[in-house]
Amino acid sequence: MTPSFDNVLVLGGGVAGMAAARTLGDRNITVHLVEAADQLGGHAASWACMATDVCRHCGACLARDMAHQTALHPKISIHLNTTLDTLEKIGQGFDIRLTSGETIPAARIILATGFSPFAPDPSLLPGLHFTEHDKVITTTQLNQMLKDETLTDFLGTATPPEIAFIQCVGSRNRRLERDFCSQVCCKISLRHTRKLLHILPDAAITLFHLDLQTIGKETRCLAADLSLMIEMAQGIPAEILEDQDTGRLRLVTEDPGTRSRIARSFDLVVLSVGMSPSPELEKMASRLGITPNHWGFFNTKDASLADGIYAAGCAAGPKDILGSKQEGCIAAAKVLEDMGHKPEKQTDVLVWGDGAQAVTIARTLAKKGHRTICFNRNIPDTKAASGQEITFTDPGKILSVDGVAGHFTIRHETDGTKKTVTCKTIIAAPEPEFTTPAGQGTFSKAIDIDAFSRIPVDQLSDTSVILLDYTGPEYKAASRLALTSAMAAQNTGRQVTVVMHKMLVHGALGQQLYDQARKAGVKFLRVNTPGDIQIQPTKTGFSVTLDEATLPGIPITLLCSTLAIGVSPLPGPDFENTAGLLKQRLDREGFLQSANIRHRLTQSPRRGIYFAGTCHDEVDDTDLAAELNDIMAGIDFTGPVRDFGVEVNQKKCVQCLTCLRICPHNAIVLNEKSRPEIVAEACFGCHLCVANCPALAIASEQFSTDQVAALAGKGQVAVLACQRSAALAAGPLDLPGHIRLISVPCACRINQNLVLKTLLNGADKVIVTGCHEENCQSMDGTATAAAEVDRLLAIPGITPDKVSWHSVAANETRTFARILSDAKIS
Amino acid sequence: MKTATRNTDTDLSRLLNRLTRGDNIDECLTCGICNSRCTWFDGPGGPIPRQIVRMAVLGLEDALVSSNMLWDCLVCNRCTQECPMGITMDLVVTRARGMAAADGQIPEDIKKGIKTRLELGDVNGLTKEEFVETVEWMSEEFSDEMEDPEALIPHDQAGCKFLYLPNPRELGINLMHLTAMAKLFYAMKETWTLSSHHTDVTNWGYFVGKDDVAKEMARMVVEPAEALGIETLVLSECGHGYHVLKCRVARLLGREPKFNVVSIPELCLSYAQKGILRFDPDVHPYEIAYHDPCNVARKSGGYDPPRQLLDMCCHGVKELVPNREDGVCCGGGGGILQDSTTTQKRMITGKPKADQMRATGLKHLATACLSCHRQLGELSTHFELGMKVDTVAALASESLVL
Ligand code: SF4
Ligand code: SF4
Ligand code: SF4
Ligand code: SF4
Ligand code: SF4
Repeated sequence: MTPSFDNVLVLGGGVAGMAAARTLGDRNITVHLVEAADQLGGHAASWACMATDVCRHCGACLARDMAHQTALHPKISIHLNTTLDTLEKIGQGFDIRLTSGETIPAARIILATGFSPFAPDPSLLPGLHFTEHDKVITTTQLNQMLKDETLTDFLGTATPPEIAFIQCVGSRNRRLERDFCSQVCCKISLRHTRKLLHILPDAAITLFHLDLQTIGKETRCLAADLSLMIEMAQGIPAEILEDQDTGRLRLVTEDPGTRSRIARSFDLVVLSVGMSPSPELEKMASRLGITPNHWGFFNTKDASLADGIYAAGCAAGPKDILGSKQEGCIAAAKVLEDMGHKPEKQTDVLVWGDGAQAVTIARTLAKKGHRTICFNRNIPDTKAASGQEITFTDPGKILSVDGVAGHFTIRHETDGTKKTVTCKTIIAAPEPEFTTPAGQGTFSKAIDIDAFSRIPVDQLSDTSVILLDYTGPEYKAASRLALTSAMAAQNTGRQVTVVMHKMLVHGALGQQLYDQARKAGVKFLRVNTPGDIQIQPTKTGFSVTLDEATLPGIPITLLCSTLAIGVSPLPGPDFENTAGLLKQRLDREGFLQSANIRHRLTQSPRRGIYFAGTCHDEVDDTDLAAELNDIMAGIDFTGPVRDFGVEVNQKKCVQCLTCLRICPHNAIVLNEKSRPEIVAEACFGCHLCVANCPALAIASEQFSTDQVAALAGKGQVAVLACQRSAALAAGPLDLPGHIRLISVPCACRINQNLVLKTLLNGADKVIVTGCHEENCQSMDGTATAAAEVDRLLAIPGITPDKVSWHSVAANETRTFARILSDAKIS
Repeated sequence: MKTATRNTDTDLSRLLNRLTRGDNIDECLTCGICNSRCTWFDGPGGPIPRQIVRMAVLGLEDALVSSNMLWDCLVCNRCTQECPMGITMDLVVTRARGMAAADGQIPEDIKKGIKTRLELGDVNGLTKEEFVETVEWMSEEFSDEMEDPEALIPHDQAGCKFLYLPNPRELGINLMHLTAMAKLFYAMKETWTLSSHHTDVTNWGYFVGKDDVAKEMARMVVEPAEALGIETLVLSECGHGYHVLKCRVARLLGREPKFNVVSIPELCLSYAQKGILRFDPDVHPYEIAYHDPCNVARKSGGYDPPRQLLDMCCHGVKELVPNREDGVCCGGGGGILQDSTTTQKRMITGKPKADQMRATGLKHLATACLSCHRQLGELSTHFELGMKVDTVAALASESLVL
């Protein structure tokens, strides 16, 4: 048999592996997805839902949804409980034998073997006495208890429970040869503490951290909320003692007030463990001919992959769920390109933004062959390289954005002339505002960090101070600039001091830079708040006096000739207008793009509209490059269009245009006859239009009110469940016969009619279940369904016992079971 | 308000900022791990290790020298045992103590001891004549006790296999201990000697962080020992003496000594393993707890030999919790025991150890350092623990089967 080399082997069925497999499968590539465990989903699928009153955007439930979709994919064959056995390189491809005995020829291999949580082995970290105290647990164990809803029992009678989190266990530690930041554990702990407070509102929580990595969408808001609810203490205890009398756990920490050590007692200590590569990868590396770095990852230059092998997700290096998904898609696109698959069509792209990032984005796309227009008010004078189609235009005032993916029409007005631009894809990248007090008042002689980093080293003054997060929260790009420029200056004999609340290292590279900078002699001073710093201009520069956080009571004065100030991005003046025109939401901080994980990192509920750069999330150059690869993977290799079977029956339509107004995905347009029409490429099949058309003019092949209402038999309990959340949670349960699980495309399919009809048809109860708020793919499905249930409950005779609404994420099987048992269904 | 000015051009920072692993305090991550592990635990006063490191990093010498932390530190390295950057506290603290600016803070007793030791070779001021007189008298007593004219405590004999370097206490208030050691050598049937040129295993130059002093003290031991042409220098049970002569001597002298260095418990263990020494565990028919001297254990890696030897001489060894790398200092380290003004303070620094001792529920405790031995004994009395404290070698000597 001549091996068909259009096969791809994906090792690892976690989020990255599934994302890669689906991207490839959608392009008609046969994918063999090999997973060592007995189910798809990886670690993400075992993670508990972090939702409180609202979704906390952890992304874990996505893994369940993805597993479900992957399993249904016709081009993906899944090999569970299987790993790689042998491998032989044949020409451009590989001949592979799996442990199941199967042999598979593959053109390319994507390595997505994920990670394993660091185990706080007592031989490595004896002081934690991890195995001795049962109330010392890892975040993984806490997660399991949250998932199983066993935490309150485990905590026992302690009221209110006092709980400590210790960050960086097994990370940022050179002694353990793990001198990288695991990136995710701070965010995990923030979500965990928030979740704990939701379950145990009177719990007293202390989060001991090294530098809390508040980064990523809405993480700063979460941290800010939490800072009022929990104690955040810099400094991570490395020893846990047990109180002989009470059995409580004791941690000795520095008490800045009394300038001595004090012992504090806790009922539970959670070790926030970092990431290690999966042991599976270690076993396979030599067979694959790949060389991970000494940490076991591929996130530094000294690691190398072999020809035809690509790494994605946590196998490449620690990252979060959405980042893993993104990397899976990018790896798949890379494979497609390398296998010679040409992008189907070169797309017309509009890049929307005035700043340098927008220019980078436009250039990157043009370079890839996309015809690109950039709406940019500060038109760069450089010409496009030959062969690139790129136009920079000052749009003047943008009046409207109409249409759907593939057919956007943007009208704008320059100098009184109205113009129209059409494009297939829009990438929104408006410029944020960068705040810096440099140049004003006391700081009239200070410069911002960007300016500082551009001073040639030979022109730098002898002493410089960098105020990193003085005027606003720390920002990753600013800390990277501070580290690299301070190090360069220090290495040429200058003295640089960085004053900071904390260092945002976030990842392996950041930790490396921080380590190198300290080693080079850059001094880092910590302050608790900007109020601890006093700045005086002097004849020759500045005098900075501060209360150093690690040296309470010893004010320290720094004299410097150059004072540089870090900049923080704030939502730009255009953001609201841009969001309005694109019909998109801002996040809690006012940046573009909702925090909803169904569309992030780069997409939006409106197909064809993407976000890139600082306008929507905290990105540095590397992250931006990844975002662009992700976007290009989407537009170069679009998948098949799904038909959701929803159509406007033009005969019944009364042209009220309700559907056009309410479609959360803007998938309904007015056709040439000025009648509403659903555009399949843009539709997500949510059925909100079906549920809300007053003329009942929108037909659904599978989910019409009558069809759905007829599904529950007499005396049965109808559980209407969103297919992306509650229905998936119910999946593993063995439901008794009188429960009728009815999977609907979105909770917003439910309306009063549907529920009432179901009851009229003889159902005993109707339980409506769907995503947590802010997790709905169609944005407001949750609120819509909940409101419908509320309205029903206002009808006499409809009691909460008859009709109820519950949020259940795809990973909340236990919650789903509890809802059924609470409903006292006989 | 007194403000300190950040200064990296200080003696201390120059000393410390050599870019080798462990020494480069600039690399401190300010993680605070050390703060949670100081052997003072939550006792009042005492050092805050991260503050020591930070003061040193930032060149705040005045603040460091004038704080109590420099001499409250027991130089036990418990704090930095788990330092993610491999910084070692004993180095930081002793370097800081060694600065000229810190001279005024050196405790009087330590100053005096160093002076005497440099002048006379013995920290307690024992002269050569007194040494010879004492040893010869003890030698006679020893042969009477052993009823063997060949059982001697020899001194200044060239060409012996072993040279025993006693602790000054063994020639002062604890003469019995020297006799006990003599008995062990006697049973080994090897040639051994003491030397009147250097009667003292201690090296307080290490405590005060003065390399020149430490070097001179080491030289005073090494050169005469080499002149005697011995094969192995056998150290009395002394934690810091062991650490200096085992781990630091080459760095101090710029060369390796021309002999091996072992401690007396290590030597006994190897002779027991060879079947030459035999011990009767029933002489001590009880379970015994063992205290790791920080200098022997954490700082020099000598965890197992004392335990193994002890196990041969008693009915089992019970661990104090925590132990080994995590062991808690007896509370007398870093020169604090040698300063007679610290009696009260040592009951604070020793409280965690006393708690550990009590928690064993045992009546016997052994250790492999005569300084720890003294401090532990005082703890037992002060905290009414009713524990008898012995050194490992003394117990071995008692258990000897001749
Ligand atoms: S609903 Fe999903 S994304 Fe939201 S917190 Fe739960 S698991 Fe995370
Ligand atoms: S994200 Fe980085 S800083 Fe935060 S706990 Fe993990 S390793 Fe530590
Ligand atoms: S089903 Fe949903 S996405 Fe599709 S047209 Fe109707 S409202 Fe829009
Ligand atoms: S006493 Fe020991 S643990 Fe405490 S600071 Fe000194 S060396 Fe560290
Ligand atoms: S443990 Fe080490 S790195 Fe951490 S604060 Fe102490 S000296 Fe610095």
